[in-house]
Amino acid sequence: MSPAAAPAGSSRAALRDPVLAPAVLLLWAAVALFVLYPVSRLLVLTFWDGGPTLAAVRELVTSWQHRRALGNSLLLAALVASTGTVLGFAFALLAVRAGLPRAVVGILDAVVLLPLISPPFTAAIALIFALGPRGLISYHVFGIASLNIYGLGGTLLSETITYFPIAYLTLKAVIANIDPNLEDGAFSLGARRGRVFRTVTVPLAAPGLANSFLLLSAASLADFATPLILGGTKFPVLPTQAFLQITGLYDMRGGAALSFLLLVPALAVFVAQRWWTERRSVVTVTGKSGAATSVKSLSPGAVALLALVCLATGLLVLTFYALIVVASMVRALGADNHLSMAHYAHVFGGGLKAIRDTLVIAAICMPVGGLFAVVLGFVVARTRFPGRRALEFAAMINYALPGTIVGIAYLVAFNDPPLALTGTAFILVVCYVFRYSLAGTRATTALLAQIDPSIEEASASLGARRDVTFRRVVLPLIRPALLAGMTVLFIRAMTAISATIFLVSLSWSLVTVRILEGITNLELGQASAFSVLVILLVYAAVALASVAMRWLPGGQLGRAGSLLGG
Amino acid sequence: MSGGAGARLRLVSVSKRFVRAEHGAAAVADVSLTVEPGELLTLLGPSGCGKTTTLRMVAGFERPDTGQVLIDDQDVTGLMVYRRSIGFVFQNYALFPHLTVFENVAYGLRVQRLSEAVVRERVGRVLALVGLPGYERRFPNQLSGGEQQRVAVARAVVVEPRLLLFDEPLSNLDAKLRVQMREELSRLQRQLGITTVYVTHDQEEAMAISDRIAVMQAGRVAQVGTARDLYRAPRSVFVAQFIGRVNLLPARVVRAGPGAATVALWRREVTVPADGAGAIGADVSLVLRPESVGLLAAGAAPPAGEIAVDGVVRSRTFLGEKVEYTVEVDGASLLTVAYDPLRHGLFESGARVQVTCAPASLRLLTEA
Repeated sequence: MSPAAAPAGSSRAALRDPVLAPAVLLLWAAVALFVLYPVSRLLVLTFWDGGPTLAAVRELVTSWQHRRALGNSLLLAALVASTGTVLGFAFALLAVRAGLPRAVVGILDAVVLLPLISPPFTAAIALIFALGPRGLISYHVFGIASLNIYGLGGTLLSETITYFPIAYLTLKAVIANIDPNLEDGAFSLGARRGRVFRTVTVPLAAPGLANSFLLLSAASLADFATPLILGGTKFPVLPTQAFLQITGLYDMRGGAALSFLLLVPALAVFVAQRWWTERRSVVTVTGKSGAATSVKSLSPGAVALLALVCLATGLLVLTFYALIVVASMVRALGADNHLSMAHYAHVFGGGLKAIRDTLVIAAICMPVGGLFAVVLGFVVARTRFPGRRALEFAAMINYALPGTIVGIAYLVAFNDPPLALTGTAFILVVCYVFRYSLAGTRATTALLAQIDPSIEEASASLGARRDVTFRRVVLPLIRPALLAGMTVLFIRAMTAISATIFLVSLSWSLVTVRILEGITNLELGQASAFSVLVILLVYAAVALASVAMRWLPGGQLGRAGSLLGG
Repeated sequence: MSGGAGARLRLVSVSKRFVRAEHGAAAVADVSLTVEPGELLTLLGPSGCGKTTTLRMVAGFERPDTGQVLIDDQDVTGLMVYRRSIGFVFQNYALFPHLTVFENVAYGLRVQRLSEAVVRERVGRVLALVGLPGYERRFPNQLSGGEQQRVAVARAVVVEPRLLLFDEPLSNLDAKLRVQMREELSRLQRQLGITTVYVTHDQEEAMAISDRIAVMQAGRVAQVGTARDLYRAPRSVFVAQFIGRVNLLPARVVRAGPGAATVALWRREVTVPADGAGAIGADVSLVLRPESVGLLAAGAAPPAGEIAVDGVVRSRTFLGEKVEYTVEVDGASLLTVAYDPLRHGLFESGARVQVTCAPASLRLLTEA
């Protein structure tokens, strides 16, 4: 018999706990100051001007340019989500259902992961090299000079390449969880392959497909880097428009209003995605499956077709990255292809400060954010106190919002005394911690779900206070979650730009910002060299983390999938 | 650590209601109990009867909505778990998977910041006590179920708690080991003299180890007593049926006296033991244990002082050391058990027999 109560007992008891109560208060204070306060400042700036007003929003709606940005954002999100999900589904089917050797699936995973852990502009730069006006493929191979990658087409291609791995990871898990007996059952009833696929496989994968669609929509809506480079003035979208409004026109209120316009669809997608994933559990829980039979729902022809699609995509990805690497090592790719280390000399010369700053910030983020993540996860999963759900939700807001909104909100909230924090390392750390701790929190709650609460009760019964129990029992058991959380924070600190671009200064800069400067100054070689460096650092971190995971009990939770907090 | 005087535990009108419980039923309703120093009291009942919740309120994992928990007359109702000085043995043992056996057992001592020498000495002593010397450096996942159980017990007693609390500690072990472990637990508890509350749903286990048993039903204590009391003199149908197997014979009260009542049973009057008889003319049940029923061939003379009634054997189950019969008597079926059947002979199904029993082996139930 197991009583329905959580180990902490009633919420009254939680408030009396000499350790829990201060911890909860501290969490609430932090979340209030760095999540709720900036967002409410943003809303106030948008809707308050000596009194409640809709002027800023009205202005937006009447502005043709801004209406177009909204339309473009939605169109791009829908297209990226569709193409990315289809592509991800193809990869997932091939990986799970084609009976490929493990090594091949491993290679597939590694290639697919590349875009996920790259700095934001990588695909865009590579696209310029490959298909740009003097593109290696378009011009030098096919001799086409008129191909225009700036606009919807280029942005769509680049974002699809960047984000389809999210769909792949999501759908791979979903397809692997489909009980093979269900498909076998359909075969036994006389259905042919195509029919089984249509009537069993796809319907069972449907929740996963919807989830993937929503995740990609959110990613595309929030993407700032790609449209900034490839969209240009021809194809304005909300995040870039808001950025230009503030950095170009110094119109804070206009930027705030634009980001509010972005907030609405972003939140809608986020809520829909949460709703879907919570529903999905009903579908996948079917008990222990019978003997695993080899699934035959893909015909050899279908496998060949999938392999062709995936091979082409994989080659495209690899070509992109090869181009980046080559571009970083020649004087000017396409114009002067002589080997040169000048770009790296620049990176380790003038660029060294940005690298050092980024690493310092990442180094601070990891322990601070990691601890924040696991404490939050523990408190949410294992204790009862009034407002627990609210805290959980509030802590998720900065993650759910597009980075541009968070950046603008921080700029609005922390630009003036008494909280003049923009441009400091502190605000960069805070931004990352509250934006990217969710992965660690989720890993913590997932791990805790597998650890019986009686372990903690045993500690309490032996005279240990809650903080002692946390330090001596819980923390050692959730080390994999802590590690996963810290790895994600490192990756994000190395690669994120959409929020922090508003917060950097001369004294604290970031590698991603230097990459953007490289691109806008048309020094693509430099930008490539920075990108290569970031990719190597991040790959090293992921490799190190997965080696460490193998040494930790329960470490499988921290594999690449959860590393990205998807 | 040897034979220290245990604490006295008292529960005074303790109630607990869970917010999400079905129908808003109380998990524990108005439970009052006293556990004497050094005593082992078992909370016995079917799943969902509130026994684990009661135990968890004693431990401090749950807080009662009303009522008090007193240890040695100190009110600990609002005291945090970690201040109560208890040893708790969990159903799943709850060993710390990241710590060795030694560190698991040492945990409570380290929390008390005892010196390394003391920790070493006491852990060594308690591991010897539970028969696990030499296991110090193993991890929990390298132990068998029985060994994990012993570590869990060692970890609970090494801190010399005022109370020892067991939550179905043997339910994860196989049948044979369960019998062996319950004997070991019983021996250890007597040796240490720690006041103990033990939760189980297994009546045999409860009878084997307990000084007294509290039978719980739907959040309330149905009856408290020694195993013998509960078996011999259950006060309700529930207790009669939960402890052992039972025949409930319908009868009618004819006369009531102190400690006994005369009832009409099987068309005759029989005087049987009773705590307090119901009203005259009331329909009551008589408890008759299957092994108290004798079977004789039709026509044989019943033993002196026993009452006899005719019946027909309806079914027979041969179980080796005993045989169980279902006998139809007065249109109702009656379960009987006969031991050493190979010596005493077997009745065939359909045989006409006499069913006999001593009036003293019957017991009148005053509650439904």
